[in-house]
Amino acid sequence: MSGEETSADRNVEIWKIKKLIKSLEMARGNGTSMISLIIPPKDQISRVSKMLADEFGTASNIKSRVNRLSVLGAITSVQHRLKLYTKVPPNGLVIYCGTIVTEEGKEKKVNIDFEPFKPINTSLYLCDNKFHTEALTALLADDNKFGFIVMDGNGALFGTLQGNTREVLHKFTVDLPKKHGRGGQSALRFARLRMEKRHNYVRKVAEVATQLFITNDKPNIAGLILAGSADFKTELSQSDMFDPRLQSKVIKLVDVSYGGENGFNQAIELAAESLQNVKFIQEKKLIGRYFDEISQDTGKYCFGVEDTLRALELGSVETLICWENLDIQRYVLKNHANSTSTTVLHLTPEQEKDKSHFTDKESGVEMELIESQPLLEWLANNYKMFGATLEIITDKSQEGSQFVRGFGGIGGILRYKVDFQSMQLDELDNDGFDLDDY
Amino acid sequence: MAAQENTEISTKFSTLNVNAVEFVPSFSYNSVVNVAEEAAAVVVAAAAAEETADPGPASGSATPATTPDSVGSGGSTAGAAPPPPTAQGAGAAAPSAQPPTSSSNSASPAPGSPATTPSAGAAAADPTPIDGLNPSDKIANNETDPADSWDVDDAVITPEDEEVEDAEFTEGEATPKVSKKKVVKVEENRSKREHVNVVFIGHVDAGKSTIGGQIMSLTGMVDKRTLEKYEREAREKSRESWYLSWALDTNQEERDKGKTVEVGRAFFETDRKHFTILDAPGHKSFVPNMIGGAAQADLAVLVISARKGEFETGFDRGGQTREHAMLAKTAGVKHLVVLVNKMDDPTVNWDQTRYNECKDKILPYLKKLGFNPAKDLTFMPCSGLSGYGLKDQIPETLCPWYRGPAFIPFIDELPSLNRKSDGPFIMPIVDKYKDMGTVVMGKVESGTARKGQNLLVMPNRTQVAVDQLFSDDFEVTSVGPGENVKIKLKGIEEEDVSPGFVLCDAANPIKTGKIFDAQVVILEHKSIICAGYSAVMHIHCAAEEVTVKALICLVDKKSGDKSKTRPRFVKQDQVAIMRIECSGMICLEQFKLFPQMGRFTLRDENKTIAIGKVLKVVE
Repeated sequence: MSGEETSADRNVEIWKIKKLIKSLEMARGNGTSMISLIIPPKDQISRVSKMLADEFGTASNIKSRVNRLSVLGAITSVQHRLKLYTKVPPNGLVIYCGTIVTEEGKEKKVNIDFEPFKPINTSLYLCDNKFHTEALTALLADDNKFGFIVMDGNGALFGTLQGNTREVLHKFTVDLPKKHGRGGQSALRFARLRMEKRHNYVRKVAEVATQLFITNDKPNIAGLILAGSADFKTELSQSDMFDPRLQSKVIKLVDVSYGGENGFNQAIELAAESLQNVKFIQEKKLIGRYFDEISQDTGKYCFGVEDTLRALELGSVETLICWENLDIQRYVLKNHANSTSTTVLHLTPEQEKDKSHFTDKESGVEMELIESQPLLEWLANNYKMFGATLEIITDKSQEGSQFVRGFGGIGGILRYKVDFQSMQLDELDNDGFDLDDY
Repeated sequence: MAAQENTEISTKFSTLNVNAVEFVPSFSYNSVVNVAEEAAAVVVAAAAAEETADPGPASGSATPATTPDSVGSGGSTAGAAPPPPTAQGAGAAAPSAQPPTSSSNSASPAPGSPATTPSAGAAAADPTPIDGLNPSDKIANNETDPADSWDVDDAVITPEDEEVEDAEFTEGEATPKVSKKKVVKVEENRSKREHVNVVFIGHVDAGKSTIGGQIMSLTGMVDKRTLEKYEREAREKSRESWYLSWALDTNQEERDKGKTVEVGRAFFETDRKHFTILDAPGHKSFVPNMIGGAAQADLAVLVISARKGEFETGFDRGGQTREHAMLAKTAGVKHLVVLVNKMDDPTVNWDQTRYNECKDKILPYLKKLGFNPAKDLTFMPCSGLSGYGLKDQIPETLCPWYRGPAFIPFIDELPSLNRKSDGPFIMPIVDKYKDMGTVVMGKVESGTARKGQNLLVMPNRTQVAVDQLFSDDFEVTSVGPGENVKIKLKGIEEEDVSPGFVLCDAANPIKTGKIFDAQVVILEHKSIICAGYSAVMHIHCAAEEVTVKALICLVDKKSGDKSKTRPRFVKQDQVAIMRIECSGMICLEQFKLFPQMGRFTLRDENKTIAIGKVLKVVE
């Protein structure tokens, strides 16, 4: 099973864990009855079972009756889950059990167990009023992190690239004197002021770089890319003020025309050769390939929920592309007026407000909700049935931003052409714009 | 001695004329003793005098203006001397009677004293022939005092002339004097000399800065001594051929590498026009700076190198020859002069075949951009290093196949530009600095501004007052459209101004906005563009990060018809109307109301993606 996993499958697993972490972190309980248990590979189920039995004995002495019962219940649940495994899975085992209080104030039992997508080398047992997800978060953060410094005559930007996350840590602007036509003695004074300010600027960048990229006396980045126009980046890389620990991490100097976000984007583009394994780069290439299909008008692409799902059912989707924050809910409804049929709807939050979607057109009877879950979650669990690979992307790259805002955040690259033309043109109209204004 | 001089004055006017004539040799003699800077100052003064003399015959009002100048410098006195002797032929015999006595008197006193006394005498003498004009007398008397003050200052400076730094200080000191004169002169000059802003564009190493420096040298705007210093320093660094460009490349890193980074600026004058030179960088990483220069230009000079290999590199896709020409067109430049430079290079040697080869290759592209070869476009061969083809025609022995005009005479003869002088004041701010107050720089696009006037700095709506005005380093009392100016402001700190802001009329300010609709032509983009696309927008002197919010419709390139459905995306060579959002507030106006503030360029990373014009400011 694990041998068959591709990088795309791995990315889906990563997305699932991200989603899990988010929901776990929001959970809160009464008392201290929420158990987080992480068993690393090569540990023994028997050792953990014994530890749990001891904990059970200890918990029996809790004076508060309500809390005692909750803790004992949680430990019992963990023990039951653990019995399902005869030995620790190759990547370790993670279990979360406990009773949480929902937003409506009701109590709800949570029981989650799974094997991580890669080895988790942490041993953890905590009984608290919340779940502890730090180890899972650390698992996701193990990808190499690259630092970027973009500096030009107007200011500097410090950023990182890690996995598919691009982040701006800090930026500031400077006002360096420009060239003047002043003659005589003033020329010397202005030249001195100018060189002094440039020198101060380089020093400030060096200092901020140390603050951001060095923690616990060692670099927190795998590599550093210096970008900029003019010679500032060269001066920085050769400056005595630049921390030698960072100096040794510099992997590339690139020429960009602008500071700020645009320069950051360009620096990533220019350094892509050195960053081949970073998911952000792969994401850019994937969407770039998708846009190429659109640009060349091959017809081997689709976008929008309806067309994409239709193509999926036809089996023509080779690569399914979906935004990680796609805000569409999938509903399975049963129509009692017609005993054999169920209806599947995909609605945006805006559309959900319209109750007519949940009512049978012919009889006016409200349909019964059978199942409801985010569409992406459903796709993540079912994409293999359609012979497709699933790529979950962000909107952090230029390409991702366009895919989300221009194409709705869901689409696919097809194996062969499917004709959606009649649907495509109807989706956008000019109601919001008066063309006579132009 | 004083009594003796008074006697001479009261008895014989012709004697005074003799003294005036005699004074000149003495002053010249002193000049020889002093250092070269003093001579340079005198030369500058003499040049000013010559220009001053020109208006004399044209207008009677010029006479009062001439007199104060005469008092100001010996050179001017020489210029003023000839008319009186002509008018009084009868007095010719008298001077010959007493030459020995006068010479002897002039020689014996200290140099400083005669300089003052004869000047005063000359001033007293001039009005006498026109007894009836009392106002002239008053003007002359009033002007005498400032002249005396200047002389005193000069006396203080003189002992330290030997030192280089003080010499530079002297040059600095000369500036206020010239500025003061220009208060009167420039106002006359503004009505007479048209201001034209010329930007030099082209691929890196084509020779733009060298041509700029050569023009400065040929028109006398940079003196021989400074040039020789540049040449000496350049030779020490084994960069002999770069020395001319140092007149415009003032930054250390520009001189070290021979590559312009920031737009250099300088000016020169011809018979009819006042030209501001904007020397743009040619390196592809500094295209944003080049756009800042082109935004101020009326006329663009595309410099291409004829040297083997260099033209090809610049003209290839990705080279700056094409991109700069397109950006200049987008910036609103209407006339383009193409200088085929380095014709003196051994690989070219003024070969007509090579010249035609370069010309024939680039002409189709320039036509495609919209330049009309018949009236908007001109080609010329030249050599920036030798100066041939810039001010004077190229020697026929070198280049018999081109007998057209040289560059400077050609641009002097170009027809006048339309200026928006009656609109509200608008000046995009290119740069700012602190110099005993906040000074902003830019080109006036519309209207006029006067000293003491209240203005607004947009988009922050800061109220400011005009403290001082400089038009290309000369202090003036008002400025008009087309002039490249510096304005010292009261009411705002340097930190509160940014390039891209606009100085404008308080009653009629420029429009500001963050979201606008525009028509955009996609020039070069290998992928698609749809909502969510981000780029950098250059509009007048501002550069702002923008995002496409929505595509509204497509526009047919030929018919101008708008599509009824909204496009999902646009591709290269398509035209679309789209809604654009800026990351901050900017100043802009509809293109049809004011083109200079409504046209823009979109660039992404290091490529120019699209050009556009503002159709409607949404909010």
